[in-house]
Amino acid sequence: MLIENMKMAFSAIRANKMRSFLTMLGIIIGIGSVISIVSIGDTMRSMFEGLYREIGVTQAYLFIGYWVDDVRQSDYFTLDEMERVKEVFGDQIAYIDSNAYTSADAVSGRTTVKFGFTGIDYNYQDVQPVNMVYGRYLNEGDVLGRRKNVVMDTTSTMNLFGVENAVGKTFRTTIYGTTEEYTVVGIYRKQLNPFQAMMMGANTEGGEAYLPYTILTWPNDYFYALRIFARDENTMDEFYNHVKAFVAKNKGRQPEDFRLNSAKDEMGQMDSIMGGLATAVGGIAAISLLVGGIGIMNIMLVSVTERTREIGIRKSLGARTKDIMIQFLTESAILSACGGVVGILLGGGLVVVGGALLGVQAIVRPGVVVLAVGFSAMVGIFFGIYPASKAAKKDPIEALRYE
Amino acid sequence: MGFWNRGRTEDLGGGWPQRKVEARENGAGKLWDMWRKSLKKALKFPEYITENVSEELIRLEDLVKVYDTGALKVLGLKRINLTIHRGEFVAIMGQSGSGKSTLMNILGCLDRPSMGHYYLDGVDVAAMNPDELSLIRNRKIGFVFQSFNLISRTSALKNVELPMTYAKRNKRFREQRARVLLERVGLGKRAEHMPNELSGGQRQRVAIARALANEPPLLLADEPTGNLDTAASVEIMELFSQLHKEGTTVVVVTHEEEIAAFTERIIRFRDGEIVSDKPNVPREPEPCGGEGFGASEEGEAIGDTDSDRQKALGDRLC
Repeated sequence: MLIENMKMAFSAIRANKMRSFLTMLGIIIGIGSVISIVSIGDTMRSMFEGLYREIGVTQAYLFIGYWVDDVRQSDYFTLDEMERVKEVFGDQIAYIDSNAYTSADAVSGRTTVKFGFTGIDYNYQDVQPVNMVYGRYLNEGDVLGRRKNVVMDTTSTMNLFGVENAVGKTFRTTIYGTTEEYTVVGIYRKQLNPFQAMMMGANTEGGEAYLPYTILTWPNDYFYALRIFARDENTMDEFYNHVKAFVAKNKGRQPEDFRLNSAKDEMGQMDSIMGGLATAVGGIAAISLLVGGIGIMNIMLVSVTERTREIGIRKSLGARTKDIMIQFLTESAILSACGGVVGILLGGGLVVVGGALLGVQAIVRPGVVVLAVGFSAMVGIFFGIYPASKAAKKDPIEALRYE
Repeated sequence: MGFWNRGRTEDLGGGWPQRKVEARENGAGKLWDMWRKSLKKALKFPEYITENVSEELIRLEDLVKVYDTGALKVLGLKRINLTIHRGEFVAIMGQSGSGKSTLMNILGCLDRPSMGHYYLDGVDVAAMNPDELSLIRNRKIGFVFQSFNLISRTSALKNVELPMTYAKRNKRFREQRARVLLERVGLGKRAEHMPNELSGGQRQRVAIARALANEPPLLLADEPTGNLDTAASVEIMELFSQLHKEGTTVVVVTHEEEIAAFTERIIRFRDGEIVSDKPNVPREPEPCGGEGFGASEEGEAIGDTDSDRQKALGDRLC
């Protein structure tokens, strides 16, 4: 019976192709926009997640909370303290440094380029792998010996030296007031997709270089934050709590006085913001579904009037109120669900094609698709109830007499 | 032929539903009946709908129909008493406004009487609600309308299947039976045709096949030849005669004497009352008597245009 009803519904829809299509259009646009907005949201979220994975999701900064009023010098860190943290937590730490960064002009011959220098330990390659193309990475000797060696990417060497392979070339720069000569020992190539480039800020004019953190952080100097990469992502929250507690105890503080800013937390925040945004905009788009539903109700009312005689015939042949009701409900549900399917293809297709054009892997979740089809069918049923009951209530004699 | 009447009759020639009760006496018949009953139970149709219980197929007792048009009440039917037995071939005649359409609607369970009783197959349907009436129409009555009333954009086969669909028959059963019925009315090769691809006579034959789908005890035809030419009219009426001979009760509502002439009993209506109820010797299609066609008793009731048609119908027959 249900299959019969569905067949009848399809033939009725086919009989009025143009009208059916125009009616569906409301649902197509509604579902299409909901699907594309939710999918864009999902894609953005996954791209942000990728971004955080890129910079290391286990990464965290530990520093004295900005809400602490009486900040003392001892609230900052020294290299000795960093070494103690390293010793105590040992294997649980994948990488730790003093989060040293400075920017300065690098001068080679007559070329001056604004550079950002990041102080790193020799094992930074473990947590932030880069693709070395020329020379070598910084080694333990560079770090311990505070050698003025740097590693930079190909864009930076091009900007500064005009060539990619600049191993062995030198430049001068002024760090903390002291002008010295630095040697390029290795060059890596950055591989960023367009989104990463956009979000991380592709530096096409200036330069970036890694140099031993010991150059930027002196043994007796205090620095503001510890940068730590936990070894294990699953236990990182617990691990960071321990680190925080340990550091706070050393400094005679409460753990609450320190702030631990992890990439994972930040990722979660970003995720919930994006999710909330997508839901809100998707909800607004869903209003267009309401309009589509009203369109369906309108056309179903017309259809019921047109087919009054058919209703009369069916009733004379033994169709009960329920049978007529179900027939018309099936029709409106199918009308709406067809619109939903087309809407999904359109919305999903738009996102996938758009993503492909931008070089991004678009995500259309199957759950959302199922939900959208289900929802459109629900809209069809809801807005079909009134016309269907109108059809079902028709008096058979009147209906048979209808011309 | 058809498996639905296996063991029920000796004569399976036309695959036609036969209502010869004595044929059920053999063992296979009993088994069939048992299976049928259990199936009916499973389908949850009340017994009064699925079983034939009364020899008096139609009994009207003091039936009154009042039309309430707001300002004034119009008496459509005035205390009708009428009995039609199983297996009769009856014509109900009268001009428009005579009440025959009203009676037709009530007999067809499309409408309910205002007062009195209507026993269809022993069950009083006067007090039933619309859905119960739908069930009754589905199982007890086969309609044949003047304007055929086939569902457009639906093949002949599907049209014939429709009453069986509402009787919750399975697809295989429906299709097989529909094909046999179409074969029976001579449209076996046109099962897949749409109504608009068929001639009027063919459409009416599809409608008859459809009316027979659920083996209803009563075949109710409302001006079945009204939209047909003479040749097709004769064909249709001959089909009814044949059905009647095979045991079906046929009630034809008409205003044409020639049509009524095919029946065995003619009931005339005027102003909501039965004015005459006489047996009729049905006209055989073969012999060609010059006089007495239709045994017209109320010839004055028929207009000029109808007279021409009468003549034509008579000519065709001779």
